[in-house]
Amino acid sequence: MNSTVVTYLSQSKELSAAIAWLSKTLGFDANSLVSFLVFAVVCLIVVGVMATIGGLGTYAERKISADLQMRMGPNRVGPYGILQFLADGVKMILKEDIIPSGADKFTFILAPIMCMVGVFATLAVVPFSSGFMLANLNVGIFYLVGMASLVGVGVFLGGYASNSKWSMLGGMRGASQIISYEIPSTLSIISIVILAGGLSMGTLIGGQGGLPHQWYILHNPFAFIGFFIFFIASLAETNRAPFDLPEAESELVSGYHTEYSGMRFGLFALAEYIEVFVVCGVAVALFLGGYNVPFDLGTGAIFTEKLGLDSMLSQNIGQLLELGSFFTKTLALYYVVIWVRWTLPRLRVDQLMTLCWKYLTPIALFNLLGCAVWMYAFDGKSIYSLIFETAATVGGSH
Amino acid sequence: MFTNTLFLLSAAITLGGAFAVVYTQNLMHACIFLLASLFGVAGLYACIGADFLAAAQLVVYAGGVIILMLFAIMLTGGASNSINRYGLVKIAAMGNTKTFFAAGFTAIVTSLVLLKIIANVLKNQPNKVLAANEATVEKLGTLLATDHILAFEISSVLLLGALIGAAVISRPRKEKHD
Repeated sequence: MNSTVVTYLSQSKELSAAIAWLSKTLGFDANSLVSFLVFAVVCLIVVGVMATIGGLGTYAERKISADLQMRMGPNRVGPYGILQFLADGVKMILKEDIIPSGADKFTFILAPIMCMVGVFATLAVVPFSSGFMLANLNVGIFYLVGMASLVGVGVFLGGYASNSKWSMLGGMRGASQIISYEIPSTLSIISIVILAGGLSMGTLIGGQGGLPHQWYILHNPFAFIGFFIFFIASLAETNRAPFDLPEAESELVSGYHTEYSGMRFGLFALAEYIEVFVVCGVAVALFLGGYNVPFDLGTGAIFTEKLGLDSMLSQNIGQLLELGSFFTKTLALYYVVIWVRWTLPRLRVDQLMTLCWKYLTPIALFNLLGCAVWMYAFDGKSIYSLIFETAATVGGSH
Repeated sequence: MFTNTLFLLSAAITLGGAFAVVYTQNLMHACIFLLASLFGVAGLYACIGADFLAAAQLVVYAGGVIILMLFAIMLTGGASNSINRYGLVKIAAMGNTKTFFAAGFTAIVTSLVLLKIIANVLKNQPNKVLAANEATVEKLGTLLATDHILAFEISSVLLLGALIGAAVISRPRKEKHD
């Protein structure tokens, strides 16, 4: 079975005692019921936290763009304007829900929901930490790629259903952009899967360590290039940064979400910000060491040895450290994504497609080949272990 | 209990989606219901422990085939409803005797094949306990690269042929007449 958050929590004595008490009171084996309840609670927590991160992403974007443009950004609603996203959310909910009369009503309502579902389904495998991953699927990264392509369907349907020129153009551009950039993105992911030897997030992150020289980005030059290919392709996947032609204000009014008002538009925007977070999380997991804490602090064993704490408590401390490591790296990448958006000009749609098919895809294929050859030639050792091993043998290892 | 719930949900989505595909009169809606039905099939794969197959179903079908079908419908403009002004669905060859005979014959042949398959399954009586979930990715990869390497290579040649064929069919043609 795949290990999940329930597997991690069932190590604790309190939970086992609770299950035993519940089984006695209810008369049947309460194991699966408690598993379901734990899952439900953790899902609620994850969804709540991620929605907050999505909302704070809008606030962060406005503040960081303001900083880059030498102005202030929102600073009235709450201290330093931090409640601005709540005010925006309330405003959106209170707006009138307009459905154009010529629109295909069923598809119009379905499109933002499909975007949201595609993004929230990927949260099941995002590796927050080794214990709090909702489900460490054997096919984790593969499942994530599959669910992220639902967003493309949502974008296309949003463009089609609005029955308007701007939306149709934006929707078709958006969908073709998303399906085109899936290829270099997936090829970069596969080159890391070759290095790690498995599709599950646990395997991918377990093959890395806490310190930067143990990350896959510095494993071999092909993985280094692969990180940038993946990052650029993911920017295009989420309709972000210089690739936001489908929702460009100056070109297409608002592209595929022109006709959406109020919370329907809010769902599109929220899905985009959460998808950026998920994609940054995947980049961190694959290339930047994931939730690994330097000096092996994440396992918690050092706390039991040195400080004599209870095993479960030290494991929980280790999990908190891992969470901190993951969120620090992901939010740093999130800052880079926002920074790139407000720095670079927008690409034209033919430049976009040329970049994908003529540049990123061949480079990604070459990376895949290079990683495979590296694994064969150097037995999977990173460039640092090769250098240090050579130095050790030359210097006379003892 | 979870397996039962998962199976019932997946089967309901598969069958409901398939029924809606046939019943609806809007081609785009039919595509969306097909997406739902394929999701149900992925759920059914997950029920019997074929994890890689379920994920592959999601990636290939939900992410690839459906988007391509939507693009094809948009680019060929085939989304208009075919209802005439009297409210009857009027498609050529519906209600034709030839169509009913062909459809009836197909239905009889399909049901006979299905009955034969089910009879074989019921006769062999596999044991009722489901095997424990185990990782299938590594096994699939090993088999594909050793026992079934020929099928693997032939399918890659087939995909290459399809790619080149699509590019050839859709290439811009020089204007022959002016």
